[in-house]
Amino acid sequence: MNHTNEKTVLGDHEIIWGLLQNDSDKRKSEEQLFSRYAYLIKEGMIKYSLAEDDAFDAYSDTILQAIDNIKRGTFEQRASLKTYLYRIFYNKCVDLIRKKTTNKGSVHQTAPIVDMLNMIADSAKTVIQQLIERTDMDLLKSTINNLGENCRKILSLFGEGYNDKEIATAMEYKTSDVVKTSRLRCLEKLRQEYLNKKK
Amino acid sequence: MDNFEYIDDYFKNAPTDLQRQQFEQRITNDKGFAEEVAFYISAKSVIKNQSQAETKERFREIYQQQKVILITRPHKNTIWKYLAAASVIGIISVITWFLSVDKTSPQQLADQYIQQNFKTLGVTMGSQDSLQKGLGLFNNGNLKASLNQFENILATDSANDIAKKYAGIVSLQLKDYDKAIYYFTSLENQAGLYSNPGKFYHAVTLLARNKTGDEDEAKELLKQVAEKSLQGSEDAAKWLKKM
Repeated sequence: MNHTNEKTVLGDHEIIWGLLQNDSDKRKSEEQLFSRYAYLIKEGMIKYSLAEDDAFDAYSDTILQAIDNIKRGTFEQRASLKTYLYRIFYNKCVDLIRKKTTNKGSVHQTAPIVDMLNMIADSAKTVIQQLIERTDMDLLKSTINNLGENCRKILSLFGEGYNDKEIATAMEYKTSDVVKTSRLRCLEKLRQEYLNKKK
Repeated sequence: MDNFEYIDDYFKNAPTDLQRQQFEQRITNDKGFAEEVAFYISAKSVIKNQSQAETKERFREIYQQQKVILITRPHKNTIWKYLAAASVIGIISVITWFLSVDKTSPQQLADQYIQQNFKTLGVTMGSQDSLQKGLGLFNNGNLKASLNQFENILATDSANDIAKKYAGIVSLQLKDYDKAIYYFTSLENQAGLYSNPGKFYHAVTLLARNKTGDEDEAKELLKQVAEKSLQGSEDAAKWLKKM
């Protein structure tokens, strides 16, 4: 199925189902979701006077956040996908405008960091926050890119929020336990290589 | 590897209070362990960001290739056009009727107020991280998680008036009116605040709930808000004229 010029209009449930599937179905559903409401980019330009690039960013980030929430099960489906997306998009546009008017390049911690930090009690959280701030993210990124293909793939699926069972299916491992062992070994290898480069 | 397994299990499963305590103690007492936790979180975040950046690039390609088609709102078929036209006529008639009788029901007043004022919540400069997280969750549409966040704050700091206010607002948006009234009543009874919207929000909730007796009770509260010039007094005075 193609993502655009599509005569068949998928319902919310079908798109959500697709987003929860494996690689190829998921990709298609992501692209269908993006294409379906891409007219919001134009609305961002007209209603909020955003430049095209900014409106595109706000809309893309909206879709990425919605996909993430759907995967994590936090989209409660009390509203339609359209309403839900519009609400996120509105907030993203307002955030962009605020950033521009206050002209502040705020230090922004990404959602996975915030989520995990919130699982740690306040006193220990500060220690971890300070250590994260000292992490050389660019070096970490390049170290990940230099890992072997298998490790990169397994860590990439892990980062996207797939559980070990789903990774086992996608990468044809025998069991989820094997995935867990391999994944943690890759993480350990990544850490050793990162520390060696940092010295 | 052993530590990574422990850290991995901690973040993947909902930890118990005891597990949280033990985890926190290890972070505080064992620097090497704390560094591994920080690395685990950083690595996961970088990997996720990379994956999202790749997806965004795919979106950019689709957008560049098919911009003209994509940014045009999809056309509905003819029957929908007629239905849309009929709806517009219907809406205009309803609006005309409303204007001619100049009367809005108390419940509508409350609903409009909620729509206009509680759709998104501003993140206050300098407010605690935990409050900001709750507001962020609310603004992203995760209402239950947001309520949970504010209730967690209140569990350790029951006099936190800001958390109380937001817990009430989120409950109101979730249409859990009884819970919203609980938080707003608790807020209005809190002494020593420079500005306290508790009574007014309590009245808004009663009007939105609209059970027998709610409107009368709300009127009484609005009168008190207007007479004592409490927060919300201007709206209260206007509403009383319409009720």
